[in-house]
Amino acid sequence: MDFDFSDEQYKFQETTRGLLDKNYDLDRLRKLLVGDGLDRELWDRLAENGTFSLLVPEEHGGMGLGFVDLSLVLEEYGRALVPAPVGETLTATDAIVRFGTDEQKQRLLPLIAEGKLKIVPAIAEAEAGYDPTDIAVTAVPSGNGWSISGRKVLVPHAATADFIMLAARFSEDGPLGLALIEPDRAGVSLREHSTLDPSSRFHELDLDSVAVVRDDIVGGEPTDASVTRLLDAGGVIAATMMTGISGKVLDTSVEYAKQRTQFGKQIGSFQAIKHRCADMAVAIDASRSAAYYAAWALAEEAPDRARAVSMAKSYCGDTSRFVCNEGVQIHGGMGFTWELGLHFYLRRAKVLEYSYGDAAYHRERVLAETIDELGIGMN
Amino acid sequence: MDFTYSAKDAAFRDELRAWLAANLPAGWGETVFGPEDEDENAMFRLDWEGKLYAGGWNGIAWPVKYGGRGASLVEQAIFAEEMARARAPEGLNIIGRNLVATTLLHHGSEEQRQRYLPKIISGEEVWCQGFSEPNAGSDLASIRCRAVREGDHFVINGQKIWTSFAQYAQWCILLARTDTDLPKHQGISFLLVDMSTPGISIRPLRQISGESEFNETFFDNVKVPVANLVGDLNGGWKIAMTTLAYERGPEDALGRQIHFKQELDALIETAATLKRGKGTAIDDPTVRQKLAKSVVEIEVMRLNCLRAFSKALKGKPRGPEASMNKLYWSHVTQNMYETALEALGPLAPLDGGDPLSPGEGRFQLSFLRSKAFTIYSGSSEIQRNIIAERVLGLPK
Ligand SMILES: Cc1cc2nc3c(=O)[nH]c(=O)nc-3n(C[C@H](O)[C@H](O)[C@H](O)COP(=O)(O)OP(=O)(O)OC[C@H]3O[C@@H](n4cnc5c(N)ncnc54)[C@H](O)[C@@H]3O)c2cc1C
Repeated sequence: MDFDFSDEQYKFQETTRGLLDKNYDLDRLRKLLVGDGLDRELWDRLAENGTFSLLVPEEHGGMGLGFVDLSLVLEEYGRALVPAPVGETLTATDAIVRFGTDEQKQRLLPLIAEGKLKIVPAIAEAEAGYDPTDIAVTAVPSGNGWSISGRKVLVPHAATADFIMLAARFSEDGPLGLALIEPDRAGVSLREHSTLDPSSRFHELDLDSVAVVRDDIVGGEPTDASVTRLLDAGGVIAATMMTGISGKVLDTSVEYAKQRTQFGKQIGSFQAIKHRCADMAVAIDASRSAAYYAAWALAEEAPDRARAVSMAKSYCGDTSRFVCNEGVQIHGGMGFTWELGLHFYLRRAKVLEYSYGDAAYHRERVLAETIDELGIGMN
Repeated sequence: MDFTYSAKDAAFRDELRAWLAANLPAGWGETVFGPEDEDENAMFRLDWEGKLYAGGWNGIAWPVKYGGRGASLVEQAIFAEEMARARAPEGLNIIGRNLVATTLLHHGSEEQRQRYLPKIISGEEVWCQGFSEPNAGSDLASIRCRAVREGDHFVINGQKIWTSFAQYAQWCILLARTDTDLPKHQGISFLLVDMSTPGISIRPLRQISGESEFNETFFDNVKVPVANLVGDLNGGWKIAMTTLAYERGPEDALGRQIHFKQELDALIETAATLKRGKGTAIDDPTVRQKLAKSVVEIEVMRLNCLRAFSKALKGKPRGPEASMNKLYWSHVTQNMYETALEALGPLAPLDGGDPLSPGEGRFQLSFLRSKAFTIYSGSSEIQRNIIAERVLGLPK
């Protein structure tokens, strides 16, 4: 047993942090609030750094690594608030690696590995909760394929994506499945949402009899398992990114507490402030335990995958909420300004908190799994 | 990172499971529990510890040289899981095993290790910890209990308080002031004291829970051989910090986690059978949310320990991070017992004295006991100071 990372994994984290610190700061994020919101140069740098080839098997031009190798760099992406659909593309990559047909893998994975494809999952619906059984967008048989109508919401970076990985039900009462469609396919229309986190570029996706053939469906046939896996992978990525955000907010708060003086003293010498920082540090450290373990469970398809993922998503979500709120408080009036930019972390953490299932949804899943494991009959 | 088990690990698990099945009383954890009387319970726990030792299952992580089996991290993790699953009782000599032994391994002489460690692991000699005094709690370095050298022994005079298990202990690790002129941290020595030495008396203190696990301990001209000094004269503070690092660290917490996991499983089972209106307590979505929160937090407690161990195995030094561990588990477990009472709902006030009490009052007792978690081994406020100042670098 080893619950630590290897030297190479730590090194990868270090180079990623270096790259992001040097090339990407909040000023650059601010500039992306206008235009299409995609930082192409940063995307290319991340691709050069191996981000997108990591999960791709060697036979398809990738490094053939897994989620554990991603954990520490995902934290860095969270910490830096990377704007592009990085986590989304990684989530979709995993689905293709695990469920894609040989043809899909050969066609898509080499391009993904080179950073040439941006793929974003479309899951949420305006009238659905977090349970995948709520998904109402339905594909009905049509000709030798399917026709999909309905509406998805909160699809990040949909306008700049090459593919949307759409979660839909295939026939009423049929299984769920994932379909890859281009944002400009006939019948697809996009509308950009106004949201809490303008840097995430969420879109509404309207589908009006969009034609889908077998080759568009991840794996050729729809399977519930492909959707659950996508949700679990997305959940772990969000949890890990939230942990990165929390780490950054703590560091910023500690720095501020050392430098700001009131009553002739650094505010960090007041216990009301230092004890908050200590509690934040403890919660972040525990978040790491939860997120890293979930990455392992996901990578290994461990029997407790569902529980591990839900533990991480709920715990890291609660932590980022706590840490971002305290971070603003520790900065006083400065924390409340647009100018300082602390709110960008709060905003991103918030949208991650409500993506792929919120903490309450995941806690319910943890309990259901636990009751199952304890063998308690439900009455 | 790797959580997989080898064939050797699986064999270890099977061996332990078989041993537990053969050695726990029949019906253990289902219909048979430890004795209710405090002293009988303590003796039962001591007896169990002896049994564990005889089977080769006490202090498994200890070096083979001192009676352990040099268990690997994965074996320690399996041990914790299996003890939780079997609802195995806790041993009594926690201070001996987790604090005294680890401290002697770092700072004791080889002679001291040879003398004391085997009897700790066998459960023959129980230890207590004489650190706190009435006027030296959080500010431990201000202790006044005096040790004055006279020939080949020290003479001890003073008082300790909150000494857990002193009534069962044969030995005590004692912090005493050996120099009153030096700055307060520099005049302290670390001594090993035989509790049967004339001049020692103890008075039990009644706790929140009605139990009397801790005591006042008085030293009146108690003679302690110079050979029982650990490390250097006046060098005791540094040694005490090692003791505290282990008291707050992952070894201690992983052992405790076993117990909390058992309690949580029992709580979920109780909530699933406790009638409430048309269903059971566990049908209540508010209760479900809180139970789930505890499931997550108690599991993360285990993961935190495994991460800390993995780092330690790679030689990363033990530092103030232990305070993060302690602060984490003490609060999440207190929350768990609050949740336990909430799950019992209207029946929450019925304690073990009442026949209608769900779970025979174990949750009320545990709830009361849990109030200590954020006080002993350094209060939460002290842990937060340590984390803020020594981990985060905030000013004093
Ligand atoms: C069940 C139990 C078992 C124990 N067993 C043992 C044992 O076996 N051996 C032993 O030696 N001791 C033992 N202790 C003692 C324990 O270590 C002390 O109680 C603890 O260190 C706190 O000291 P105190 O009780 O004097 O409280 P105080 O130090 O008086 O603290 C009172 C309050 O003030 C706060 N406070 C103090 N200083 C600061 C500060 N600088 N900043 C902010 N807040 C502060 C504390 O956090 C606390 O809330 C035990 C205690 C308990 C409850």
